[in-house]
Amino acid sequence: MSEEKQQVSRRQFLNYTLTGVGGFMAAGLLAPMLRMAIDPVLQPPSEGEFVNVGLAVEDITTTPQRVDWKIKQVDGWYESEPGRTAWVYKDDNGDIIALSPICTHLGCVVSWEGSEDHPNQFFCPCHDGRYTKDGVNVKGTPPLAPLPTFEQKVENGMLYLGKAIPRKGA
Amino acid sequence: MQWTKKDMELYLGSKEYFDTAIIPIIPFQLSQEANIGKSTSKREVLSVFVTEIERELSGRLLLIPNYYYLEFGDKDEEAKRLNNWTEEISKQPFKHVFILTFDAGWKRHEKDLDANLLWLPGFQTDQLNSTEILQMIRGQVADVVELIRSYW
Ligand code: FES
Repeated sequence: MSEEKQQVSRRQFLNYTLTGVGGFMAAGLLAPMLRMAIDPVLQPPSEGEFVNVGLAVEDITTTPQRVDWKIKQVDGWYESEPGRTAWVYKDDNGDIIALSPICTHLGCVVSWEGSEDHPNQFFCPCHDGRYTKDGVNVKGTPPLAPLPTFEQKVENGMLYLGKAIPRKGA
Repeated sequence: MQWTKKDMELYLGSKEYFDTAIIPIIPFQLSQEANIGKSTSKREVLSVFVTEIERELSGRLLLIPNYYYLEFGDKDEEAKRLNNWTEEISKQPFKHVFILTFDAGWKRHEKDLDANLLWLPGFQTDQLNSTEILQMIRGQVADVVELIRSYW
């Protein structure tokens, strides 16, 4: 009888401990969410920040060129450095255009003149999606929306890129 | 796409667009201390590699979770297990299944594998974050992407 009692209390003890751990974990999960909900200033700054992508404005031509850079991304406690890519060129008015290379179909990376059969277009290798130079999807190919454009600014002759802004389907 | 909730929801909704899967295989062995530095460094490089490959082709390629094996273990046994994985994946269906490795030891077992073996000469580096190394990896990634596309 006394042995039985001991077992029960041991079981109870373990149970309490586990519940305790669970509660602790839930609190851990909630805390960052609460903080973000309450205080917008504390939200991760990374995503929308302008980054110097290492390209001088004078080196930008009318032919799209690929630039790669990295951003710091903090997802709760998880920090990563995902790569970012853009196709950059000057249009006929001399304005800088920075297009996201992420195909609006299912997300492969498109390249300028990626197919010999389609000069002067962006081409997606996955399902032959195509876009004209301004990033507008070609009708009859899988993508249903144009490539997003990056927010941009120029400082000391260098190009800075920010968030990619999606555009409405044509 | 990667083996994450968000990506897999996308995949399940558009299965017909996916026909290629890639399994990164990664050796480890604690008992060969002299080898650990090389082994871990290669593993880090490989993970950058697969992330970049997946990013380029994410709308058609599914990145399978890593397969681990003992570096100096029995490769015949591993080949059998890998073939089980390949069979399961092929049924979904996936037309092209690739195994990505830096381990030259697999070259001798290539004929036993049902998947296509992509062996790359890996390298060690302490500067995985340096621009030069990333530039170099990107160059190689572009080659691998070309290779995969040649199967399509
Ligand atoms: S992902 Fe680009 S066409 Fe399908």
